Amino acid sequence: MLKNYLSKTVLKRSLALILLAILSGCSSSASVRIDQEFPTVLAKPKAISATVVFDEAFATYIAQPNKKTVIDIGAGQVKLLSNAFAGLFEEVEFVSSLEESAGENSLVIIPSVREVQVSTPSENYLNVFEVWIKYSLEIQTADGETIDSWFMPAYGKTPDAFMASKSRAIEEASIIALRDAGAKLMLDFYRIPAIYGWMMEQKILEESE
Amino acid sequence: MKPTINHKQFKTPIESLVKRLIERKSNSNNSHTKLYSSLIMVALLAGCSATTTIDEYRPSDEPIELNAGENVVVLGRRDAGHYETDRDFINCVSNRMRGADIGVLPEQQFIDSIYPWFEPRTAPKGLPRLKRLMQDPLVKGQVEKQSVRYLVWLDGSTQTLDQGGSISCAIGPGGGGCFGFAQWDKLSVYEAIVWDMTNLQEMGRLRVDSEGTSYLIGAVAPIPLLTPVKSDACSSLGNQLKSFFTEQ
Repeated sequence: MLKNYLSKTVLKRSLALILLAILSGCSSSASVRIDQEFPTVLAKPKAISATVVFDEAFATYIAQPNKKTVIDIGAGQVKLLSNAFAGLFEEVEFVSSLEESAGENSLVIIPSVREVQVSTPSENYLNVFEVWIKYSLEIQTADGETIDSWFMPAYGKTPDAFMASKSRAIEEASIIALRDAGAKLMLDFYRIPAIYGWMMEQKILEESE
Repeated sequence: MKPTINHKQFKTPIESLVKRLIERKSNSNNSHTKLYSSLIMVALLAGCSATTTIDEYRPSDEPIELNAGENVVVLGRRDAGHYETDRDFINCVSNRMRGADIGVLPEQQFIDSIYPWFEPRTAPKGLPRLKRLMQDPLVKGQVEKQSVRYLVWLDGSTQTLDQGGSISCAIGPGGGGCFGFAQWDKLSVYEAIVWDMTNLQEMGRLRVDSEGTSYLIGAVAPIPLLTPVKSDACSSLGNQLKSFFTEQ
């Protein structure tokens, strides 16, 4: 009798746990943290020295694009952009505030996040999860004179998969968006007209060619 | 050299099974009942077979030269807006090719080693861009270091085209069950383009279309009759790509 009761209880609890596990896969909210390592960039840096300011707001940035989604990209974006800037400049100094800088480098770059947006298959009617990260790069000379305020959008998407969790899909799309930010920076930084003009002025282009 | 253009269409082995059953009946004295029940069963399963078409183009019928120690990388195109060539499909095709003693590098390993030049934003879409990229000594060095001789670009997706019917499931203290009928059509379309990384030229291209219908019958327990459309597309494409690099 007791044995029967116990086996029924165990069976019920197991069924409840299985149901809970299945339902958790269908959860409509997502909270993800991106702090993985990113590959180093394959590029020859130019003979420029720069100071990159990752202030606390940037290094601990947590995006909440909607009520049900939280993406902690602070640590991930610092790792990613550290790699990318090391591929752009021969000498690069990373500081958490401008006061910490020795002020010896010719460029100062202060990145910030303007906005993060997500889109899910129920919103876009496509079988993809999408993440946009919109960065702004404040680029100054060593004297504090603004060269440009560059808008740098990054995009990542991942396909929707049967029974896959929303969190996992948004995490993957965010990682792809961060990698895209690195690609965009490497591809377009020296094509910014103001940067190109500054380099011509400093005769950096002639030296590196 | 004369270019080769092939077009192949085939179904999963169920058609041949039906033929064999009918032939066996005509040669033996088995009861009609057995034959009809077998045919009904086969007819049910035949609904779950995929029709796959492969079109290939290559400069010659000879296998592509791949020396010992040289590798192939299978990469997915991910720059389209509304779909993404999924990683599972890339892994499936890579595994099919690995089975034929072809050195295949994992996609992510290659993309990471050459970051950021093969990201969706930066990956070369044509040979002129690849030629320009390979002029960078760092990129060329990394490709040579990993002995990558050929790139296989895969582009495509699997989509559900049409779905109908309905099935509902209920559970109560006395038990539960599913009732109804649902069906859906799936179409897999993938294109593969092979690039030679040494001579910087295209070595051939393949296109596979696989289509089939799946069913879900709710008779207390849900009975799925699934058509492996994507899996068929993968095996057909993988086998055909193998024939590019090896003697058949």
